[in-house]
Order: sequence, then C-alpha cells, then structure tokens
Amino acid sequence: MTRAATSDQWRQFQGATLNFISENTAPTAAIAANTKPFTDLTGIDVRIVTLELSALVQRVALDLASGRAQYQVIYADPYQVLAPYQRGLVDLRSLEADPNLPKLPGGVGDFIPVQMDAAGRFVEPAPYYALPYDAPTMIWQYRQDLFAKYHDRMTQDLGFDPTPSGDRTWEEYFRIAQWFNKNGTEDVKYGTGHQARQHDSLMNDFSNVLWSYGGNYFDHGKEVGRLGSRDPGPCRLDSEAAIAGAEFYNRLLSIADPASKTWDWDGVGAAFRAGRLAMCPNWHEFAASNELVLPGKVGYSVLPKGPVATANMYGGTGIGISANTMPNERGAAWLFLVWATSPETQLANLKSKAGGGTPTRTSVYEMPEVRAAEKRPSSMPNMLAAAAVREAWTPERIGLRPKIPMWNECNTAIFTQLSTMLSGAESPAEAMRSIKSRVDQIVARGWVA
Amino acid sequence: MTHAAETSAVRGSAKPKSSPRKEPRIGFEGAMMAPGLLLLAALSIVPFLALIAMSFSRVRLLGGVRLDLVGLSNWARFFTDADMWMSWLRTIIFFVLTVGLEMALGIGIALCLFRVLRGRNILLALLLLPMFAAPSIVGLLGRYLTDSTFGLYAWVLRAFGYSGDILGAPISAFAAVVLMDVWEWTPLIALITLAGLSSVPQSVREAAAVDGARGWMTLRYILFPAISNVLLVALLIRSMDAIRYFDIIWVTTNGGPADATKIVPIRLYETAFRFFDLGYAAAIGLAMLAFSIFIARTFVRLLDVRGLTR
Repeated sequence: MTRAATSDQWRQFQGATLNFISENTAPTAAIAANTKPFTDLTGIDVRIVTLELSALVQRVALDLASGRAQYQVIYADPYQVLAPYQRGLVDLRSLEADPNLPKLPGGVGDFIPVQMDAAGRFVEPAPYYALPYDAPTMIWQYRQDLFAKYHDRMTQDLGFDPTPSGDRTWEEYFRIAQWFNKNGTEDVKYGTGHQARQHDSLMNDFSNVLWSYGGNYFDHGKEVGRLGSRDPGPCRLDSEAAIAGAEFYNRLLSIADPASKTWDWDGVGAAFRAGRLAMCPNWHEFAASNELVLPGKVGYSVLPKGPVATANMYGGTGIGISANTMPNERGAAWLFLVWATSPETQLANLKSKAGGGTPTRTSVYEMPEVRAAEKRPSSMPNMLAAAAVREAWTPERIGLRPKIPMWNECNTAIFTQLSTMLSGAESPAEAMRSIKSRVDQIVARGWVA
Repeated sequence: MTHAAETSAVRGSAKPKSSPRKEPRIGFEGAMMAPGLLLLAALSIVPFLALIAMSFSRVRLLGGVRLDLVGLSNWARFFTDADMWMSWLRTIIFFVLTVGLEMALGIGIALCLFRVLRGRNILLALLLLPMFAAPSIVGLLGRYLTDSTFGLYAWVLRAFGYSGDILGAPISAFAAVVLMDVWEWTPLIALITLAGLSSVPQSVREAAAVDGARGWMTLRYILFPAISNVLLVALLIRSMDAIRYFDIIWVTTNGGPADATKIVPIRLYETAFRFFDLGYAAAIGLAMLAFSIFIARTFVRLLDVRGLTR
C-alpha cells in the first residue's frame, strides 16, 4: 500500500484495511458499533476482533512471534501486553513527530497524566507505546436508597456516619457489611460481595486492602506501578503490613456473600444489580448497567482508607501499534489511534447505546455537557461515577499493580495463594509468605520475550 | 534330541531348490500408503521433535520464534515443582473418579436398558443427549446450575441445608467438575455396553436360564465375560479423554478454588499460553504424552492378552 497523493492528511491512506484486536470492553463495543465516521474521514476500513483478555494476549503474542502484523492496532494491556512485549510495539513518538501525519489533539498532555504513564509507558519516562483508551477503576458501589433508608439507625448502632466516602475506613466498611447481614436482610441478602474467584479479579480486590494497610508487592511500589520495572527486586508481601492487610481481607470475606469466591467482576456486578448486595468494590464502568437495572438507587465513592493509606485499583489500557506493521500501514494505524482516542470519539462513546467506557482525556471531563451528565437524570450514565473516579485518579489514591514483564505468572501465584487462604487451607501469614517465595522464584527466572 | 534332528531334517527337505524371487523393498501396498504415511509423519513426527527441542530450550517469541538451549533446566524444574506434583495427584484422582463412576454407572444403566423391551429407543435417545453437547457448553450449563444466585442445584442443596457455594469450596468444586464429566460421558459407556450386551446370543442366555442361573450368576458368568472386551475398549476411550480433560474445568472454575481443580492439562495450558513459558510447557506436554502412552499401552496389553488386537 502506498500513500495517496493528497493534501488531506486524513485521506492519504484511503483504501487501506486495518485490523484492531481488542478485549471485549465497553469502549470497543461503542467503537465497533460506529466505525463509519472513521471510514468516511479516512477511507480506511477497520476490522475489529474482540476477545476475552487472556485470549487476546495469546493472539497478540503469537502475532508478534509470527513476524507479521495480522493485527496492526493492538489493545495493549499494560501488564499483559505492554510490559512483556514492549519491544513488539511502536514508539509512538516517531509518528507524533511525522509532519505528514495529524497531531494528537491537545497532545499527550491532554491524557490524564497518571494514566498516560501507567497505560502508555514502560520503564523509560519519555517513549510511549500506547495511548490511554479506557480507564476502569475500582470504586465503592453502594445502594444509596438503602443507606438513606437506614442512615439514622446505622449511625446510632455503629456510632459513626456510614455514608460511603474516602473518610470511611475498611474496618468501618466491615462493620457496615456486618450490620446489613444482621439488619438489612429484608432488602438484601448480604452486606458486601467481592470478586474473589481464583482469577485476576481476586488480586485486584485484595490489592486495594493491601495498599491501604501499607503493604506492597515490591519496594518502590508506586514507581513499579506507574512506569514499571524489568527487575523489581524481592517481593515484600511477607511484611507485617502486608500480613495485616491479608488478615483483614480474610476476615472481610468471611462475612461477605459466600458466592464471592466464585465471582469475578462480572459475577459481583450481576449479583449487585440483582439486589443481593448492599455494596461492593467494583470497576466504575459498571455504572451504566447499574443505572439501567437500579435507576437512581446506586451511589459511588472512592474506596475506604486503611490504617496507612488508601488505594483504588486502576485497570486502564492503551491502544498501540504492532512493530511488525509495514511502514505505510503504521501511518494508517496512527490515524486510527488519533481518531479513537480523540475528544470527539470519547464523547460519542459516552453517548453510545452499544456500551462506551469513560474518557481518558482531561478536556472531555471539562466539557459542559459531560459535567452536566454527572448528575441524574444523565444521558451518559457512566458519568455518574465520574466524581468518584476523578478523586481515585489522584496520585495519592490511584492503585497501580506492578508493571513487570513477568506479571502474568506472578499474578497467578498471587491469586492462587489468596484463594488458598480464603478456602482456609492457609493462614494469611502463610499465604503471604508463600506468595513471596513463588514471586521471587518467578522474578529470578527473568523474562525472555 | 532325536526329535530335533528329525525336525531339522524335515525342514531341510522342505527348502525350495531354486532361490526365491527377490521381493521389492516397498511393495505395491507400501507405495500406495507412502504419501499418506509421509504426510502423517510430517504432521506428527516433526512437531514431536520440535517439542523435544523446545523442552531443552527457552523459547523467544518476538521477531520470530528462536530457541536458546538451556540444557536440562526445564526438566529439573519439572521434577522439583511441588505444585506440578500436586496437579499430577489431582489428575490421577480425577481420572480414577471419572472413569470409575462412568464405567459403574454406564454398565448399570446399560443393564437396566437391556431389560427394557418397550420404549428402549426413546429412553436411549434421551440418555444420549448429554453426549451431544460440547464440553464447554456442559461447563457453562454446570456453572449456571450451580450458581448460588439463580442455580437450580444450588437451590435444591439449600433446601437440604447446604449453605456454601458449590464452586466456591475446594472439595465441592472438585466433586462438581467430576460429576459434570460423568453426566456427559456416562451415556457413551452405556451405549457401548448396550451394544456389547445385544451381541450376546439369546441361546446362550436361555441355556443359562435353563441351567438355573439367576440374576447375579448370569451377570457374573455369562454376560460380563461376553462383553469384557467391549468394556475394555470403552475404558480405553474414556481414559484417553480423561487425561486430556480441560474444557469443563476451564469454563467453570479456571483451576480454582485454591487450585483444587487445577489438573495437569490446565497447568499446561496456563504455562504455555498465559505465561508463554513454552520450554517448560513442552516438558509438561511430553510428560503428559508419556503418561497417556503408558495408560494406552496398559489397556492395549490387556486386549492383547485376550487376542483382541489381532
């Protein structure tokens, strides 16, 4: 494919076909339902393949190994694609600097800074390999109708104002859940539910508590989470703070809905919408489906704090370009990246009936119509959680798991041993030490891409 | 000695006088089969050799697949990996439970059906239904039926006082995935057994009845010996499948909780396609192959003893 002789930067690759491989997420559902504006603008046809995350990682790894780019545009999960296969992705600075290609509207500075680092960069602060594309973040989701109904009684019984906010502690969260278990069974079956299946979701759910109690996976946890590391050093889950976090988490799960141990984020989301739970920590992008089933009944807040800190797990992802892509196709892929992450497309995604995530650009959150949608009645229901996530994305509140090439295997060791702890086969201290020993072995083996 | 000398003399006399025509090294049949055999060799032997090479290497993916030789380190890891040995133990327990239950129930159902004269075909058609579902569909079905929010089985168990979550506790989750496999594949054993029972001549059964053989006696001395070869084939088929069991566990429990359902095929998949540690995965795959060959050879030897492989 050659560049067409045209003065319109957006039309120079007309007739090209791009393949975009993505996780089956809300933003991709919205984009897949409406690629016509991009095709009209550029003359480029886009084919989108959506898969469950682990299947996506497999396809991407095998595609990178093939030496050819069947998929030019890649949904580059920072932990499962970007960190292990960073060398297989194009440094996007080369395309941003190309005078023949359109610039990113607002530049990379318009992306929320912590997300740009977490989803787009690896180890070095300058190169970026992906543009922030979605931004699911764990927040406290609760039945505000029930909290309003029982507010006075709970305040009297518990001795504190139970209204969810960043000022509440995990210990108070525990007591609220326990209170619902005893007194709220007319309305809900359990006070709290969790995504504690032996799955990535369990690591996510636990990490919020771990960090709040002062625990960390590695030394310099914030840096290893934000920019990443190829050699993170020894695992620190055997620290007293980490064990205290694990003890609390184990105690919390003992009063949570027993089905929590079979739920990932979809499971706990479905149970919450089914009216089974009074509250749960979950990804904020469930706000739209919550509003559909429980209109006006769900409230959102940042997660509680622990004795040392507070954290809200960030699960955002960027989109990047495979380094196997032919030079001219890289230009076409860049056009798609610019368009898919542009303020206009992010706004359209917010309004999409097919799904739509939440924006990753500061400028979109400042648009008056987006601000207005943060309050009910809202035409963009995901924005109902915007106030909570904006707070969650501040550097002191965001929770970033380690961005290391061998994370996938470490993660499996972590959630497997946590699952063992929850089954009662290991104490929290044993589970933490067991994770440490496994993670140290995995890190010592190193990563060969 | 005399006998040996005589025999030798007889042999000597039987020797043809003219030298035999030299047989071509590859006969007509061999020539006809050669293309197919070569294709099969390319499809199985080349990957097998590649697998062996990978098991002694670290496999790089980026920029094209490359092997860095690491000697015996993958194999050393395999033999010292405690988690892996736990997976083997689980695989063996799973294998014994599924194949054992399927054989017992399958034979029982076949014997019941064998006695049914009216409506046997309808009953058989209903019985065979689970077998036609893809294992991943069986897994999804099992997951929904055991879901504590809306699952039928969870609801029934709650009525009997079970308050836990079936897939949430190690023992119940393991039992659940075993039962899902048993539900799906018992009909196959029943079908094979029924075919075997139908081939037992009526006259033999009548003769046994005339001789006074009743229920258990007929079963023990007439039917089982007659169908034992068929049962052995059924056992072989199910054993091979049970060793490679994957779909239902992947869909329902993903190997959890607490690794309770993480049998070797799940660990192999995880190592190869989640961690992309293809060298270690090759070692696990070869060990699985050796185990499968051992099981297959054991059953084939049993068949061989009975003269059924010829």
